[in-house]
Amino acid sequence: MALLEVKGISKKFGSLLANDNVSFDVEEGRIVGLIGPNGAGKTTLFDCITGIYKASKGKIIFSGKNITNLPPYKVTHLGVVRTFQIVHTLKEMSVFDNIMIGAYLREGNSEKAGKIADDCLKACFLLGFKDKRAGDLTIGLKKRLELARALATGPKLLMLDECMAGLTSTEVKESVELIKNLKKRGITFLIVEHIMEAIMPIADKIVVLDGGIKIAENKPDVIIRDERVIEAYFGKKYSKRLQAKKEANKHG
Amino acid sequence: MVIVKKRNFKKQDIYWYIFIGILILIPLIPKVAGNTFIQHVLILILLYASMSQAWNIIGGYCGQVSFGHSVFFGIGAYGAAMAVVKYGMVPWLGVLVGAVTASIVAILISYPCFKLKGHYFAIATFAIVEIFNRLFMVWDWVEGALGLDYPLVEEGWKNFMWYETKIHYYYGALILFVIIFSVVRYIEQNRFGFYLKAVREDQETAESTGINSTLVKLMAMGISAFLAALCGAFFAQYSLRVAPPMVICLSMSMTFVLVTILGGAGTFFGPLLGAMILIPLQEYTRVLWGGLGSGIDLILFGFLIVLIMVRQPKGIMGLINEFLNYKKNRKQNFPESQVKE
Repeated sequence: MALLEVKGISKKFGSLLANDNVSFDVEEGRIVGLIGPNGAGKTTLFDCITGIYKASKGKIIFSGKNITNLPPYKVTHLGVVRTFQIVHTLKEMSVFDNIMIGAYLREGNSEKAGKIADDCLKACFLLGFKDKRAGDLTIGLKKRLELARALATGPKLLMLDECMAGLTSTEVKESVELIKNLKKRGITFLIVEHIMEAIMPIADKIVVLDGGIKIAENKPDVIIRDERVIEAYFGKKYSKRLQAKKEANKHG
Repeated sequence: MVIVKKRNFKKQDIYWYIFIGILILIPLIPKVAGNTFIQHVLILILLYASMSQAWNIIGGYCGQVSFGHSVFFGIGAYGAAMAVVKYGMVPWLGVLVGAVTASIVAILISYPCFKLKGHYFAIATFAIVEIFNRLFMVWDWVEGALGLDYPLVEEGWKNFMWYETKIHYYYGALILFVIIFSVVRYIEQNRFGFYLKAVREDQETAESTGINSTLVKLMAMGISAFLAALCGAFFAQYSLRVAPPMVICLSMSMTFVLVTILGGAGTFFGPLLGAMILIPLQEYTRVLWGGLGSGIDLILFGFLIVLIMVRQPKGIMGLINEFLNYKKNRKQNFPESQVKE
């Protein structure tokens, strides 16, 4: 049985259909990538899974439990934790205190929670910034801080919403390393990402959304050759031209 | 790393105990012992610091600016006064009933108000003060607009009433001060305090980190109202008279807010600093320039707040921290500050 099952989720904003009957599974211990052009409904889907939006239709099942339309804090308690595309650091608090917020979820004792937070601080390469004000960090560090906070809650499924967008290439490499390390700890990932060189090598499966509809779901090396995906990303014209070129190459 | 942090906490705690020790010894200074006016000022400083610290839980740490605290303060005051004036009892049971009632009322009225955020929440609480003010004005059971006047009863801790000297009131206020500051200190260093700050900083993040933000806010409001009501009961016992315009009114609500904001909302020592500035200002201007009419102190106080807020929105504590950080940075000159942002 899959850890997370998304079954026919639809989300309407007035007349706009942001998600239309999207279904896929996230298997335990895997990294699943969720990609698609801007406005494809990736973040909306995230919001529906974590309870920020109420899905108009469909079901979300997490390790056998129906979590559809549960409030966000309950979803988090069950072990589904997300980060945000636009970073939500708690600005006025120190880096350490930010992570403490996460650590307190499963540990009421301040000393023990402090140990968990220290551990996550180390895992996310943030040790040097422990006492800095979170609002003063660079964007790369803020994204890593958000990951650390999510990690401190002891999640089963981590949902990362473009956690590498806007980072330098070194930072992207560090983040990829970090995700690989966390996977070894047995955490399952669902990752929205635009940076293909980051997501393609680590993902076990890619789900592609376009205009709210799932257009493909397969292994990364199959996805990159999928015509519908290429069309979604580059438009009809370009993909036709690309195909014509390919065929010309084949013949000539 | 954890050990270092713990030692820091201890060090701060020692300063705190020394400070309380000094407060206990202050009345022994001959100048204070013989001067009821200085005693009066000291009592009010402790009372206002306690009130503001109670407000600080919801308004400072949790970031929900409530203008409704005079209602809870008033309910506490009426609780004590009703027990003594109407039922001829010692005030203590009334204090407890008043505080619990205030807590319940606070939770009931803030539940719908918490659906509002930011300024809208503040406006809703404004309205609540007016509602309760009118209610107490026309309510016969609590003697309406006439208010309750304390009868002459026996002096002592049992009745919490003294006529000759104010020293006992000082110690009463000190106990209240220590209780409320200890509660806030405990909250600040534990899970609940972290959750309060998380809700203040970003409610959406708090929710997705597993915090039930509505519950946290309601609990903060309940505790805050309970403590504010205790202060109200002390106020009633001290001024020996309770009437709606004295306790349940917007100017009383503003006191809670302004003292905390001047000192530094969401900081432990902010309320104390704010009270240490406002009360002497208020009492001495009343003595010196009483002839010019009332409100001179508020003019000065308002001016002071504007001056400080322009420089540092976190109040006096913010200024102090800024100064300390500046000194630390200069001393260490640590390389991290050179990292490009």
